[in-house]
Amino acid sequence: MVFTCTVLCARRDFDKYWKRRRIFQLSAHFEGRKRNCYSVAVRYVHRAFAYTTNSRKLKKKAVRRRWIDRIHAGAAEFGSTYEALITGLGRCHISLNHQTLSNLAV
Amino acid sequence: MSSARRVQQWATMTRKWHLYDATWQDPYKSAEVIVKYLTGRNKPIYAASNDTGDQVVIINTRDIALRGDDWKYNIYFHHTGYAKGASYTPAWEMHKKNPIYIMKYAIYTLLDKDLRRRRDMARLHLFPDSNVPPEVMSNVSSQIPQLRRVPKRLTEFSEEEIRNYPKLFDYPKNYIIR
Repeated sequence: MVFTCTVLCARRDFDKYWKRRRIFQLSAHFEGRKRNCYSVAVRYVHRAFAYTTNSRKLKKKAVRRRWIDRIHAGAAEFGSTYEALITGLGRCHISLNHQTLSNLAV
Repeated sequence: MSSARRVQQWATMTRKWHLYDATWQDPYKSAEVIVKYLTGRNKPIYAASNDTGDQVVIINTRDIALRGDDWKYNIYFHHTGYAKGASYTPAWEMHKKNPIYIMKYAIYTLLDKDLRRRRDMARLHLFPDSNVPPEVMSNVSSQIPQLRRVPKRLTEFSEEEIRNYPKLFDYPKNYIIR
């Protein structure tokens, strides 16, 4: 069939553009074909989503680990250890959380 | 910022040079302490992503002390990669060839096996005796206390100290000691 003007059925590609645009906006900082080619990018963007959801739990662990390192260093300045400090505070019923303790150490 | 606060800020954020005397010290136990200084874990501002490590200068690595029979039975293995390239060197031989190696290797193995290890090792300076180049010594501003007390030898006491040392009793003057 020959069409002399743009026909409504060409509008079939309209959603595809926006759907791909949503993926490309998220893959803008990737390397190589992962950035610009849809069939490659879509896989890596989905992996990025999975990493983000996982990292929400990992971040909490990493931040707590950093607090513990800092409390340990702060306790070592007074010749003590993290374990001794935390058990001592617990026995004295001083309920300071790790975040406050690490801020005090810094 | 007041000048006192400025000094405190500078002192927390700067990279310090520490001195450690390894005379009669156990290299593995002292490595645990030194690694803390190299990685920066001794500072409350420590974070894994930023670099808070200090420089450490170790002197007298020749006078290191290993436990028990370790000088004889601690073996350092090396393979060149070529056929028949395996070598087994006991600690005493290694120490004789290179008096720095045992202390250096103890610290190297104790650091985290990641990309920061080489950087932290570059901040370690080892010397077999007390001869430290002046450009290194001029930076040193603090000392890491030794883990093991080094006892003073009888020969190292001066005449005056021996004479003045408190005594409960003494031999009679005409007594002959056999």
